[in-house]
Amino acid sequence: MSGRYLLQKLARAVLTIIVIVLLNFLLFRAMPGSPARIASHHPGVTQAAIDQLAARWGLDKPLIPDQLVAYVNATLTGDFGLSYQFRGEPVTEVIGDRFWPTMILIGLGELFAIIIGLALGAYAGWRRGSAVDRVGGGISLVLYSMPYFVIGMPLIIVFAAGLGWFPTSGMFDAGATYASGLDQLLDFAHHLVLPLTTVTLGLVGAYSILMRSAIMETRSEDYITTARAKGLTDGRVLRTHAFPNALLPMVTIIAIDLGYVVAGAITAEVVFNWPGIGTLTVDALQARDYPVLQGIFLLLSFTVVLANLVADLVYGFLDPRVRV
Amino acid sequence: MTAAAVTSPPRRHRRLEAARDFAVRFSSRTDGVVGLAILLVFAILAIAPQLFVGPLETAVTATGSSLEAPSAAHLLGTDELGRDILNLTVHGARISMTIGFLATLITIALGAGIGIMSGYLGGKADALLMWLTDVFLVLPNFVLAIALAPILLDIIGAQAELFGIRATLLVIVVVIGVTSWATTARIIRSQVLSLKERMFVDRARVIGTGSGRIMRRHILPNVVNLIVAQSVLTFAYAVFTETSLSFIGLGDPFAPSWGEILAAAQSAGAPGLLAWWYIAAPAVSVVLVVVAFTLVGNALDDLLNPKSAVRR
Repeated sequence: MSGRYLLQKLARAVLTIIVIVLLNFLLFRAMPGSPARIASHHPGVTQAAIDQLAARWGLDKPLIPDQLVAYVNATLTGDFGLSYQFRGEPVTEVIGDRFWPTMILIGLGELFAIIIGLALGAYAGWRRGSAVDRVGGGISLVLYSMPYFVIGMPLIIVFAAGLGWFPTSGMFDAGATYASGLDQLLDFAHHLVLPLTTVTLGLVGAYSILMRSAIMETRSEDYITTARAKGLTDGRVLRTHAFPNALLPMVTIIAIDLGYVVAGAITAEVVFNWPGIGTLTVDALQARDYPVLQGIFLLLSFTVVLANLVADLVYGFLDPRVRV
Repeated sequence: MTAAAVTSPPRRHRRLEAARDFAVRFSSRTDGVVGLAILLVFAILAIAPQLFVGPLETAVTATGSSLEAPSAAHLLGTDELGRDILNLTVHGARISMTIGFLATLITIALGAGIGIMSGYLGGKADALLMWLTDVFLVLPNFVLAIALAPILLDIIGAQAELFGIRATLLVIVVVIGVTSWATTARIIRSQVLSLKERMFVDRARVIGTGSGRIMRRHILPNVVNLIVAQSVLTFAYAVFTETSLSFIGLGDPFAPSWGEILAAAQSAGAPGLLAWWYIAAPAVSVVLVVVAFTLVGNALDDLLNPKSAVRR
């Protein structure tokens, strides 16, 4: 990986983040009236809070540079303002409470989906036209076309409300007291099963379709012909030659897809009433809690930009051909 | 295609022939044909829903009682207000497909415009436009849409109407269009880059044709293939996104799209009440339409996009 490649990718990520921050500023100011006037429409906001808002964002001063400077300064120091909905609690705290449930859901979902999706896609692409390819391809396409909540709702009907195997909503049993930490963890896992299945299924379709075409592309490469000519078994050619090379483009694709995963997870959380960023987003939307929405927008866009940067760097590290 | 102009039949004949040739090639793609058939059914439902199920039922004109299971009177049951689910789903086709169509128009217009300009003009314009494209490619569209939609709604007012379309629906259309053009721009640009070096563009340039005219008359017709394939795939994405945006509460309760029906089912607690019929019809419709558009789009992409034809 050349230093130039590294610099270029870093510069792009930084520029994108600057655009995101500016966009956030513009969106916030584009609203009818000032933030203070918006706040005054909320019954939970007092006059003192409005005065504080005006002073905080320099609303009596010109938009550029004073308000912009005040805004950028605040954002850089991690100050996203106060929530309207939660009686003036700082946005960072409101979001912070909801961050880990979403991370666990998306993180584990990605993990399972990557393992299952890549294995299924690799096998289907390698044995093109086989039963696994045909059936797996059909299922993948249908899963790929399903919004996450459309996957989640039938799961609730069958496995929660119907069979009663899993709870229908939440992260813990309401008002439960636990004898030990292990009991609490088990209750958490019990609640996690269906949302996690939803996110995993939502992702598996896309990953297996993409992996299938990545594997198919490697099949015509010279190094595969060479490996076969050496007399390696079919399975070994797949495992040690085709699979690692097909993984390369997947690194980038998985990072780019993260934006969609986040979107899907938001709707999945709503279905299961999972107390993460997704349900918070919907609550904030309904209450028009703009500071919280802005904070979520910043947090999620930063995360996706960073993930893309990491993917670019990993790619540059893995693939010696990259000399952009 | 330019050198053969002297001996080949008149242009119209050639076009007709090309169209027939294309139809033959498309009809050999089973997946594309199946997708097209599904889309035709939904298109007919979307054009004249009242022919099949009568006017859209409201809370006032509801024909059943709350959450009835499917029966002879209500083939797909009723919702919590007693409205017939079949009626809602068929009318939902019109709303979902209209939003999908309009959002696709905006996406493709932006994507094709930016892609053609970026590829043809090159230099600083290209650098700037591609940088913008990169930013939009990385930005999570859906999250941006969630930030943008309520603000637009507050500015123009949810009750307003523009061009006879309710503002809420229009906001969804604009938000989807503005946030999802980047992929199209990238694909079109790479095709334009190779077109630009071709002889017929050079000739047009030499005889003094302006850039604007070259882009419209010489470049655009040669990327129409790509635009068609990309439009169909974008349509799938637009229906998918509309469904998700409506589900989290950005839809219009007075114009129930499939996503809006599913949102109503969720807030009525249908999954927990085992009211599967409330969810089944709109959910199956969304999935069928998205699958169908994807099948047709992939088939078109294989046939029309020179790059993927080599790949597969």
